[in-house]
Amino acid sequence: MTDRALRTTEAVGDRGTQRALDVQLVAIGVAGGLLSGLLGVGGGVVMVPLLVLWAGYGQRDAHAMSLGAIIPISVAGVLTFGVAGRVHWLDALALAVGAVAGARIGAGALARIDERVLKIAFGCFLVAVAATMGIRA
Amino acid sequence: MSAAAVFVALAAFGVGTGAAAGLLGIGGGILMVPFLTLALGLSQQTAEATSLVVVLPTAIVASLALRRRGVGDLGVALRFGVVGALGGAVGALLALALPGSTLRIVFAAFLALVGLRLVVDGVRA
Repeated sequence: MTDRALRTTEAVGDRGTQRALDVQLVAIGVAGGLLSGLLGVGGGVVMVPLLVLWAGYGQRDAHAMSLGAIIPISVAGVLTFGVAGRVHWLDALALAVGAVAGARIGAGALARIDERVLKIAFGCFLVAVAATMGIRA
Repeated sequence: MSAAAVFVALAAFGVGTGAAAGLLGIGGGILMVPFLTLALGLSQQTAEATSLVVVLPTAIVASLALRRRGVGDLGVALRFGVVGALGGAVGALLALALPGSTLRIVFAAFLALVGLRLVVDGVRA
């Protein structure tokens, strides 16, 4: 890891660990959950940019925080849809077997990647998602 | 394709979505739902429900790996996620009452703007 990347991680890491649950984070959680429920997409694409551009988190920490917040949000979704009997369990199991292995790879990469590269990559990803949604809408 | 081949193909696709989810800080539903509807022919609702079941273990595994490495703050994230889960219930109810295509266009415009802003910030940094 470069010196610069190390410094960035430490600087934001400090802010991340010291921060309490405040109105801003609650609003971001509600926005993520609301859009997740409204559009059936994960809350991450909403929460990550809000955590960075509004709450002032570093890009790397914002991605980790978003993943943590997705846990309770998806629990609520699974309970709702599961009770409604909509889940295709065999497909879910197959995907999950791969996704759990992939998640370790992705999280490892997130911990090491240069923050500037991460920011540009995530920005491009959002633009691509927006373009796809625009075409389908 | 046989059932076993479908299972293996889905697991392989899962590795890709899981890695993207862990890196990008998303659940991966945005990648899985189109795949499940287009490739497997699941209905939109079944695809969303199935994808959510996969998002949960993905987010747990990625979060634990990041906590070990000291990235982010899982305790705070879980707490604002619980509030977010309540927002999700309200959102699901609103979705039934509001026109879907208008919502998608507004949301796409929001994503395009913040995406470009992040790219510009990253290039200038």
